[in-house]
Amino acid sequence: MSAPAAPEGLAARAHPFTPLVVSLAVVALAFLLPAPAGPLLLAALLIIIAILGGDPRALIPAAWLAVPFWVLLFILHALLGDGPMRTLGPLTLSVHGSALALTQSGRFTAIIVASVLVIRGFRPGRFVDAALEAGWPWTSAYITAATLNAIPRFQERAVRVQEAMRSRGLRVRGTLITRAKAFVPLALPLMLGALHEVDERTFALATRQVRAEGVSRTPLRPPADTALDLTVRWGAVLAVLGAIAWRFVA
Amino acid sequence: MSAIEFSRVSFRYPTSGPVLRDVTFEAPAGRVTWIFGPAGAGASTLLLAAAGLAPGLTGGSLEGSVRILGQDPGSRSGRGAVQGKVAYVTATPYLQLSGMAESVFDEVAFAPANIGWDRARIEAAVPEALARLGIGHLADRIPEELSGGEQQRVVLAAMFVLRPDVWLLDEPTSALDGTGRELVRAFVRAEAERGCVVLFATEDAELGLALADEMVLLDEGSTVARGIPADLLGTELMWAMRAGSTGVGELARAANRLAGERAAHLAPPYPLTVEAAVERWR
Amino acid sequence: MICFDQVRFRYRRDPVLRGLTFEGRRGEALGLFGANGAGKTTALRLCMALMHPEEGSVTVDSRSTAGLGPEDMVDLVGYLFQRPDDQLIRTTVREELAYGAERQGWAPERIAAAVAGALEECQLAGVAETHPYDLAMPKRRLVALASILVTDPKVLLLDEPTALLDRTGRALVAAIVRTRVAAGGTVIAVTHDPAFAIEALDRGVALEMGQVMQEGSPEELLRSGVAGLELPPAVVAAQRAGLTSKSLRMVDLASALARHRS
Repeated sequence: MSAPAAPEGLAARAHPFTPLVVSLAVVALAFLLPAPAGPLLLAALLIIIAILGGDPRALIPAAWLAVPFWVLLFILHALLGDGPMRTLGPLTLSVHGSALALTQSGRFTAIIVASVLVIRGFRPGRFVDAALEAGWPWTSAYITAATLNAIPRFQERAVRVQEAMRSRGLRVRGTLITRAKAFVPLALPLMLGALHEVDERTFALATRQVRAEGVSRTPLRPPADTALDLTVRWGAVLAVLGAIAWRFVA
Repeated sequence: MSAIEFSRVSFRYPTSGPVLRDVTFEAPAGRVTWIFGPAGAGASTLLLAAAGLAPGLTGGSLEGSVRILGQDPGSRSGRGAVQGKVAYVTATPYLQLSGMAESVFDEVAFAPANIGWDRARIEAAVPEALARLGIGHLADRIPEELSGGEQQRVVLAAMFVLRPDVWLLDEPTSALDGTGRELVRAFVRAEAERGCVVLFATEDAELGLALADEMVLLDEGSTVARGIPADLLGTELMWAMRAGSTGVGELARAANRLAGERAAHLAPPYPLTVEAAVERWR
Repeated sequence: MICFDQVRFRYRRDPVLRGLTFEGRRGEALGLFGANGAGKTTALRLCMALMHPEEGSVTVDSRSTAGLGPEDMVDLVGYLFQRPDDQLIRTTVREELAYGAERQGWAPERIAAAVAGALEECQLAGVAETHPYDLAMPKRRLVALASILVTDPKVLLLDEPTALLDRTGRALVAAIVRTRVAAGGTVIAVTHDPAFAIEALDRGVALEMGQVMQEGSPEELLRSGVAGLELPPAVVAAQRAGLTSKSLRMVDLASALARHRS
């Protein structure tokens, strides 16, 4: 009964290559931009893109992943770091450590938000068509699409598995420890089920001529590669090159 | 020429004992052949072997020879030769969806696109296939959001669009209700009339009786009997082989066992349909 | 035992249940019938507190599902999902069956006894040490069923219990339902299987557009063509041949036929 929500937002509407190129650029920029301001601004920018671009719900899974990291980095570097210290209210923080924590938090957040946006907006059929139009061989296009698509499928499955497990008494709500303990019993049915499903789907796909030889696949609905898409992709590449140049010059 | 030929085929999966033992039979074109047996008898494996998926994708070892349209589906050249001509349908429609299609139209277009049909040909063939399965109205729907019965029809349309010569069906109606079952039955029958080979496995004896021209009874991997369903399904052999029969046949046999010697009128061959039973029992 | 009172529920802005009211009583097996989208599985999920009504209430044994999750209902209710693969987690059937009882903190001896009983009842004793994924689908589905029977819940919620099963499996499930009902349990089953409905159920409600459109015995509902279903051929044949029998279940029809003069 539970159906996958149709991908929404900028990442889903753009040409499939655009979000991928941009997210790779984000990874590069996260490390190239001058710390700590650079990564933090990058993270903020991506959060704004998520909200304005039509997929604000992407921030929920991103937060789940990012916030524990922030806390960990803060404790590790800011509270427990050494060197010159500064007091901030009741806390005594390492200056250098705080900067490090902010930098790494910013980097991690930027990368996570970008990845979540890409995965949530991924449309495998469209990607394959775009790749074929761009001259990719069928196998590469298909495998890339199937891999990226595996994640949302995994998520849907995770929801179903969690329901089934809760219906047998697994407690997932409550304290952090309860939630953490709940993760382990969920992992096995998830993995096994996913592998099993891959197995069965492979049979079905084999009979749908996926392994056909000597023919090239016809793209059904190649997505339009608009001027905006090209601009954004080139813009991302130039931003990375610019950041590299800055590094050498500054 | 028989379109599917099994000759002394034995098969085992990587981690199992023998699942098929010395199986020999032929399924001719233009007729519907039914593989019937209790769970675990090997019917699904037999279909996988016919499709070239066992041992190809499943692993395991196969002895003997499998020929489909004169080719060995397990060999690379054989597979190439039957490309696009063999349809394989299982009981779980959601596992047969490509996962790449955002609409039913695209799902049905998946295989033709994969073998390189040009767009014009696809745009003509897909609506035809949808109409043939009565799902033209679902063309824009997301396949994953459909009911099991609707999904199964999408899968059939997705295979039909290539006009296969061979249909291999493993419990094709178990996810369907009465109307869906009837639709599949009529569709499969028409395919046989079109000259296809149809080989299907089902535990639904009513479906087998209504659909099949010939049945092959399988037990623990061996072919035990062959014949016309109407002749075989009412005999004690069905229960000796743990295969069972139609609901009416089951009732008749249960009554016979209760009545014992006293009731000659309840002896086998048991009636299989409502009409036959009413005539016998009234 | 189970009470739906004017329940309204939406799934992503689409109304699914529009004032659903019905009861599942003690010592009774109730069938939920209806076309796809009528809300049958949704109703089942509401019973298990997997989802909660927007309006109205769902109570199980006087316990409202409001504010609770499925883990809070587990002491009372066992839920059989449509896809067994979503709930199989252990590496042997025996361990799989023990999971629910372990979650509820049962003593090891009690668990072992209950697991042995469930293995026996579902005819799985021979595969107790097998990995569930090494079993064919019909057996795997029975493992899923057995695993919810172990803790002997008062209520069983079954989503298409006979789908994906073979002949012996279907007969087994019907027998299990009757045993539970005879012991005072409540069973609610969503089903499209007419033979199972006749064999296992006492009563049925037909849902249409998120409400109860019809109520009655399985025979009455099937005869009226609910959800495009029909009476099983064996029942039709018996009735047309003029058999008088205690019930429409196979065992009673067979006795009637055996006694019937030719």
